[in-house]
Order: sequence, then structure tokens, then C-alpha cells
Amino acid sequence: MAYHSFLLEPISCHAWNKDRTPLPSNSPQPQWPIPIPMTPWATITPLCLPGIDWAPESNRLVTCGTDRNAYVWTLKGNVWKPTLVILRINRAARCVKWSPKENKFAVGSGSRLISICYFEQENDWWVCKHIKKPIRSTVLSLDWHPNNVLLAAGSCDFKCRIFSAYIKEVEERPSPTPWGSKMPFGELMFESSSSCGWVHSVCFSASGSRVAWVSHDSTLCLADAGRKMAVSTLCTETLPLLAVTFITENSLVAAGHDCCPMLFTYEESQGALTFGGKLDVPKQSSQRGLTARERFQNLDKKASSDTANATLDTLHKNSISQISVLLGGKDKCSQFCTTGMDGGMSIWDVKSLESALKDLKIK
Amino acid sequence: RTGEALRAFHTAIRSSPGNSRNQAMKEQAQGTMLKVLTSFKSSEIEQAVNSLDRNGVDLLMKYIYKGFEKPTENSSAILLQWHEKALAVGGLGSIVRVLTARKTV
Repeated sequence: MAYHSFLLEPISCHAWNKDRTPLPSNSPQPQWPIPIPMTPWATITPLCLPGIDWAPESNRLVTCGTDRNAYVWTLKGNVWKPTLVILRINRAARCVKWSPKENKFAVGSGSRLISICYFEQENDWWVCKHIKKPIRSTVLSLDWHPNNVLLAAGSCDFKCRIFSAYIKEVEERPSPTPWGSKMPFGELMFESSSSCGWVHSVCFSASGSRVAWVSHDSTLCLADAGRKMAVSTLCTETLPLLAVTFITENSLVAAGHDCCPMLFTYEESQGALTFGGKLDVPKQSSQRGLTARERFQNLDKKASSDTANATLDTLHKNSISQISVLLGGKDKCSQFCTTGMDGGMSIWDVKSLESALKDLKIK
Repeated sequence: RTGEALRAFHTAIRSSPGNSRNQAMKEQAQGTMLKVLTSFKSSEIEQAVNSLDRNGVDLLMKYIYKGFEKPTENSSAILLQWHEKALAVGGLGSIVRVLTARKTV
């Protein structure tokens, strides 16, 4: 596990390029640092950025901000040049994701809609189409299905939905999937019903037949298209999780306000989600015995002689807001990365975790 | 005597009017639940909590907080003991689900 402390403010989002040199961004501070290889940091423009995504093949960035715009950045020489994309939204944009084929991207916003943007060659600009119904509140997170057409969206109206974002101008008609066969633009393929909290993060599995989401009522849910879209819910004992990703087809890593990534396993035969263990187990520091004086002081101040922590044992000292798969893809992840509100970024190695935590079983 | 309290407890949990909009029915259930919870001896609470499943613990937590809202003489003391035991089993997540629940007991 490597921990890098970047900033004093929370990191709002991060993105990796193909070679895995990272790009964290932060808000609310207006400066936006970008690492360029060989030079430490260069500030680009004043923006308040909740969303950033890097397209590995075409090497383009897309950012979206509270200024209700999105910019597509292309690297010309050593400089990133932005192209404005007009999203036609009247609230801040919250999250942005390139599609797997990188010919379109989706932006979720507080305008209660999703903007799907694609490049129109003849007019040489980015055009967007909106998915509105039946979203009733801010869209907090997005994830694309590997077929480049289906899009999962988690929103503040407590639902996780899968929409079709089929744009006939840039792609062919998609073949049927377990989520449905008719996929005109904006078609609602799936809508969840169980959660009572804002859906913070959604994630498709590598095959696309499962989608998982975490919500503010401390639950983790998974819908399995292979089992007729049956939803399994796990009520966790932790504080709400903010980010989730698949690391194999059956295992998920999620993290949130407990500042520690955790493993969850999906048992397909029973359709059940189980908690697999915390992935951040601090080394056992030698326990100092309490003197009698300290014991009485504790009793006086805190009404208990327990030495339970006033400081966090975990690597991240504040909530983890984003998890991304670094190496291996979502089906055989070997490394993943977390960033948090403590301004730090950690890289976790799955093999070392498996050997260090003996009860951990990653299926 | 112990067995009776436990049985009353399970019955109250099972017959909780979860999705009801009938306010009178809900209040009656709350009253019954409070009576059952306060009739337990401190030493019996842990066993009762351990006999519940995950949904039961969440439901119990909701009733505990409902009981906090309308305190009667001595009710808070025993409810705090229930809270401690329920927290040990349900974790902070069960409290979060009390706060985010759209259907209250």
C-alpha cells in the first residue's frame, strides 16, 4: 500500500491515463494542478471540478464543473487545450464518464438529467442529448456498460437506473443484452426500488451483466441481469459508503465515510451479498499499558477508561470519496486506487492484501 | 418469566406495522413496544438482541429512537441499555438507516 499526500483540501476526483500517471483534482480551491511527466505540477485554469475522466486510448480528458460546462482537453505538444462543450444545463455538473469506445461521454448534473455528448464531425463541435425521464433529482454517479450503449446512473432520488444512451449518429444498433433488447435513446432498462438513501456510486461489472451501487442508508446493492434483474441488498454495519467498484466478477471493493476500503462478495447461487472484511488493517502497535493516573484522567474526561482511539488507525484520515481500478480491469483487478477528503491518494495491491489478511477470500 | 418477555418482544417485532400510514396503529405499536422494552431486566437484553436477524435489529433501533423521542419516567435509562446492545450488533449502519428511513415506525 502506498499512500501519497497531495493536498490539504479534499480531492474531489481523480483520473488515470493509460500509462497510469495520475491526475487528481480538487475543489473548492480554484487552482487545478495537473502532473506532467518530469515536471511536478502545473496549474491550468481556475475551475471548480467535481468531475474528471481520462480516455486512455484517445488520450483526451473531459472535465465538468460547477460552472455548468464541460471541457474536452486534448494534448497538443506539452499543453492541454480545452474545447468547450455546451451541456444546456442550468445547475452544476456533478460527474462525467467517457464511454468505453471514447466516442461519447455522459455528464450527470443537478439539473436532474444526464447529458450524453458526442462529436459532430460536420460542424466540428460537441453536441449533447438529454436523458430526463424519470430522474427526479441530482445525478451523482455514472458508469458505462461495456457495450458502449447502456449507462447506469445513481441519483439523489434514491434510485439506481440503467438507461440506453444509444446515439445513432456515432454507432451501430447494439445487440440484445440481458438488460433488454430494445434500446432506443433514453429508454429506461432498469430502475431500483429498495434504497432509502442517495445513491453515491454505481458500477457495472466487467461483463456488464451486474450493476452494484452504494447508497447513503449504509447499504450496498447489486442487480444481476442473469437472475432476471434480481436485487440483493446488504445492510452494512458501517457508515455510508461513497464509492464502489468490481474487482472480479464476484467481488467488490467499497469505501466511504469509515475511511477504509472493504471487500464484499456476491454469491450468485444464493443471490446474496456478504461482507468480506476490511482491507486496511493497521499494523498492531505495541500496546502501552495505562498508568493508574492516566486511567483516572480518562475516567474523568471521557467517562471511560477505554483507550479507544481519538485518532484513526486507517491509512486515509478522512472519508474516501473515489475508488478506481488501476491494473487488471474490473474482472481481474490487481491494483486499485483510492482518494479521499484528506487530500491523499492510496494505491492498494490486491495480491499483498490477500497474503497479509489471511481470512480474505477474493473470488 | 424470562421466556414471556422474550416472546412478547418477538411478537411485537413481528407484528410491527411497517408500511402502515395509520397513525393511530403506529402509536399503539410504539406504546406496546415501549412497554415490552422497559419490562426487560438489564441482563436479558443482550440475549434478546442476539436473537434477532439484521432486519430485526434495524427495526429495534427505530423503535429505540422512537422511544427516546417520547421519554417517560425511567424509560430512557433502559432504552440506553438496549441501544448499547443493539449498536454492538447492528453497528453504525443501523443508526444511519434510522436517520435515512422514509417509512418511520
